[in-house]
Amino acid sequence: MANALFYLMALLSVASALGVVLAKNPIQCVLSLLGSFFCLATIYLLAGFQFIAAAQILVYGGAIMVLFLFVIMLLNLGDPGTADKTDARMFSRPNVAAVVVVAALLLGVAVYAVKLSPVVHAAQELPERGIDTVHGLAGEMFGRYLLPFEAVSLLLLATAIAVVVLAKRERSPKRGAKS
Amino acid sequence: MIAAMIQASTTTADIMKAGLMEEIFSERTLQATGPFMALSFGILLLVLAEIVPGLQLLRKLIFIATLGVAGWCAWKTIGAPEAWVFEDTYVANSTTGWWTMLFLAATFIAWLFGQRYYKAESALEGEHDLLMMSACAGMVLMAGSRDLLVFFVGLELLSVPLYTLSAFQRSRRESVEAGLKYFVLGAFAAATYLFGSALVYAGTGTLTFKAINPADLGGPLVIAGAALIAASLFFKVSVFPFHMWVPDVYQGAPAPVTTFMATGTKAAAFAFLVPAAAALLPYESKHLAAVIALVTMAVGNFGALVQTDLKRLLAYSGVAHAGTLLLAIAALQGEPGPDAAMRAVLFYMAAYVFTAGGAFGLVTMLESQTGRAVTIDSIKGLAAKRPGIAAALALFMLSLGGIPATGGFLGKYLVFSLAVRSDLLVVALIGIVLSVVALAYYLRVIVALYMQPEMDGKPVPTQARALSGLVAFACAVMVLALGLVPAWFLDSLR
Repeated sequence: MANALFYLMALLSVASALGVVLAKNPIQCVLSLLGSFFCLATIYLLAGFQFIAAAQILVYGGAIMVLFLFVIMLLNLGDPGTADKTDARMFSRPNVAAVVVVAALLLGVAVYAVKLSPVVHAAQELPERGIDTVHGLAGEMFGRYLLPFEAVSLLLLATAIAVVVLAKRERSPKRGAKS
Repeated sequence: MIAAMIQASTTTADIMKAGLMEEIFSERTLQATGPFMALSFGILLLVLAEIVPGLQLLRKLIFIATLGVAGWCAWKTIGAPEAWVFEDTYVANSTTGWWTMLFLAATFIAWLFGQRYYKAESALEGEHDLLMMSACAGMVLMAGSRDLLVFFVGLELLSVPLYTLSAFQRSRRESVEAGLKYFVLGAFAAATYLFGSALVYAGTGTLTFKAINPADLGGPLVIAGAALIAASLFFKVSVFPFHMWVPDVYQGAPAPVTTFMATGTKAAAFAFLVPAAAALLPYESKHLAAVIALVTMAVGNFGALVQTDLKRLLAYSGVAHAGTLLLAIAALQGEPGPDAAMRAVLFYMAAYVFTAGGAFGLVTMLESQTGRAVTIDSIKGLAAKRPGIAAALALFMLSLGGIPATGGFLGKYLVFSLAVRSDLLVVALIGIVLSVVALAYYLRVIVALYMQPEMDGKPVPTQARALSGLVAFACAVMVLALGLVPAWFLDSLR
């Protein structure tokens, strides 16, 4: 049962990920992304990662998704006609072939490695509270991985500023520069 | 409810393993993470300087002071006993100390050459400095990490600012194109890295190098994972067949950013590649790595032969240099061992940072003065008008080509002797032949500088910029110092 659900969710998440790339309408892209997040959360749950699954739904499925929708609505990006011109070149036969080959190669490597390796365990009884208890996560996050945890906050700051640089209207006088 | 909260807080106290707080706030941890923390603090100060009116004047001072403090912190780790902190995920020793100094130098060089380079974007200079410093912090984190997760955070902290900096000149089409190309391919490389780390984790049960059981290493999962991680790192250091983006991005990105990318990024990725290869790659990978190194050298050198744009030429030469350095990674699996390989890579990279930094910097200066791309044609006859600049550029070309008395020669000597000691004699010989091929295009630049008449209708401005000239002079001094009196540097690594 769990196995069947896993394969179903894996297939659905790949399909919806493709939908994100291929859909013409931005709203459809975002909804496909939501489907992908949901399928991933289910897979996390099946693997015993309850906290990550909940965080995935709350943060990505909730907050991030609303932000995406806001941006699309505010910028009025709903018009699918503008993207058509690039489509023909982007989905030309060599490009598609290259993507398929690379994806098949990566999948082949992973499947081959997993099949050959002796460490893949049989299905175990999962602990009732999941593998990733808040207890355990906190121990890792504020112990061994404290330094990268702090560095991630810097990364978010840098990303926010990078977005400002890229999105700021050109040649606008800097605030406070003249005054 | 309050009772529940109290219970929760006591369990939080429990999980703080005994002595963890003491370890985090110990002097050892402070010393090991000092350079990174200094840079982080500087980043926050730069943000503050941008938003508080009146503090903007202090921006450059903050930038220089932060680099200085970080350099001082790094200097203290050189020669100090090796400090492994955060359960062996991060290390500080003499080598990481020198790497940090190198990153700071690369940042400083690129930053100085970037002064007054931007015209339309001058309103965003504060953001530019901040992104540059974030990238530098990412490099420091990369060099010290001995754990796949810590490295990944460092890599992203380096990459995200660089994507943006590549697209910084939004009014120039090439710059935006370079940024987008770098971003899309970089995101793909990051995904490859994560996929690889997941496979390594599945095969070994850990992400920390020291905790890996050597018995797990030969397993198919670890080999597949290590190969994917190698592919993503090869992308960052521009090794064949992941080098295609390099000429386009180097040419399109603003020249100071190219300077930074060519020196800093490559140094940071190699700083991690050596310990990662020592921890993850099996002995049998030696010959494969050597073949990839040779192909990379060939692709870089033959690609550079036909270039006329100086930035593209230097980009292909950078690919060739990455191939030479990969030879040291291949040799590391043999008799000399990782420490000797680390020394060779560090010395080579130190020479390369100052050489390529100076060369790209001079291209930056010429480009911002003429407002055009710098080609072989446009530097013809430069020696007559600007003897200082021409001499410096010629010196950098000689060092890139590996002529004795320059730092570049000694770096090449160390790498090739390492390969010979590691039973890769034939590979080393082919490598030396390829290096001789490289001389052809380096000498072409020198010939254009000194022996060809100036082209008509393309005036070269005769006024030098004092600051850029000074930095180029400092780079030239470092290149000669590393070539003529390398003992002080090599001795401090032992």
